[in-house]
Amino acid sequence: MLEWSTAAPAVGAAFLASIVEVVEAFTIVLVVATLRGWKPAALGTGAALFVLTAIVVILGPLLDRVPLHLLQLVIGVLLLLFGIGWLRKAALRAGGVIPLHDEDAIFAKETAGLSAEVARRQASQDWIAGIAAFKAVLLEGLEVIFIVIAVGAGRGLLWPASLGALAACALVLVVGAIAHRPLARVPENTLKFGVGVMLSAFGVFWTGEGLGVDWPGHDLALFVFALLFLVAGIMVARLVRQPPREVTP
Amino acid sequence: MTILKDVCSELFSMFVADARLTAAILATVVIAAVLIDATRLPDVVGGAVLLVGCVAVLFWSAKREAARRNSQKSED
Repeated sequence: MLEWSTAAPAVGAAFLASIVEVVEAFTIVLVVATLRGWKPAALGTGAALFVLTAIVVILGPLLDRVPLHLLQLVIGVLLLLFGIGWLRKAALRAGGVIPLHDEDAIFAKETAGLSAEVARRQASQDWIAGIAAFKAVLLEGLEVIFIVIAVGAGRGLLWPASLGALAACALVLVVGAIAHRPLARVPENTLKFGVGVMLSAFGVFWTGEGLGVDWPGHDLALFVFALLFLVAGIMVARLVRQPPREVTP
Repeated sequence: MTILKDVCSELFSMFVADARLTAAILATVVIAAVLIDATRLPDVVGGAVLLVGCVAVLFWSAKREAARRNSQKSED
C-alpha cells in the first residue's frame, strides 16, 4: 500500500524534474528536425531511448542487492549535491545574477551550431544531425533516470516515480507536437527552483536515514524540510538580487 | 568516443559543478555522521546539524558565487 505522504513528493519531484529535462532535450530534437527533417531526429531519439532503456534494465535489478541503508546514504548524498546545486542556480537566476534559461535563444544557438557542422561535413549531414539528437536525449535522459532512482529507490517507489517521469515526457511531447516550436513559455526556472527544493529535502531525508537518524514525524519530515529549503531558496534569491542599474543620461 | 566522453563529463558535472560546494556538502555530511556514530548525542541532533548545515552551505555558496560574478562584471 502506497503512503501518499511519501509517494506524492516522489512522483511530483520526478514529474517536475523530468519536464525540465525533457523540454531541454525537445529543443535540440526540434533543431535537428527543423534542419534535416524528422527522420534523423526520430532515429537519434529512438537510439538514445534504447540505450536509456538498456541502462535501466541492466542497472535496475542491481539496486535490490544493495543494502537499504547504504543505498539511502549514497543516493541521499548524490541528491544533496545535485539538489542544492540546482537550487543555488535557480536562486541565482531568480536574483538576476545569472541569466534565465531561454529555450528560444538555445534553439537559435543550436541551429547555428548544427548548421555550421553540417556545412563543414557535407557527406554525412543526416548522421551528424541524428547524433546531435541522440546525445541530447541521452544526456538529459540520464538525469531523468538518476532523479527517478534517487527519489524512488529508497522506499520502493521506483514505479510511481517512473510513471511521474513518463507523464512528463508524454506532456512535453504532446504540447511540443501541437506547438511545433521550442517550449519557451515553460516557467523553467520556477520548475527548477521547485525541483531543487524537493531534491534537497529528499537528500537530507535519505542521507539522515542512511546514517541511522529516526526523523521525528517520519515521512512527514520531508514536507518540513521542503518548506525550509523553499524559504531558504527565496531568501537566497532576495539576498543576491541585483539592484537595478541607474541609467546615466 | 566523443559521446562517451560527453556522457562522463555530464555525469561528473551533475554532482561536481562547483568543487567548493561539493566539498562543503560532503564536509557537512561527515560532521553529521561523526555526531551520530561517534558521540552519545541523540541521532536527531546529527540530523538537525545535517539539515541546518545544508541550508547554511546553500546561503554561503550562493553568496560567494554572486560576489564572484559581480566582481567579474565590474572588471569588465
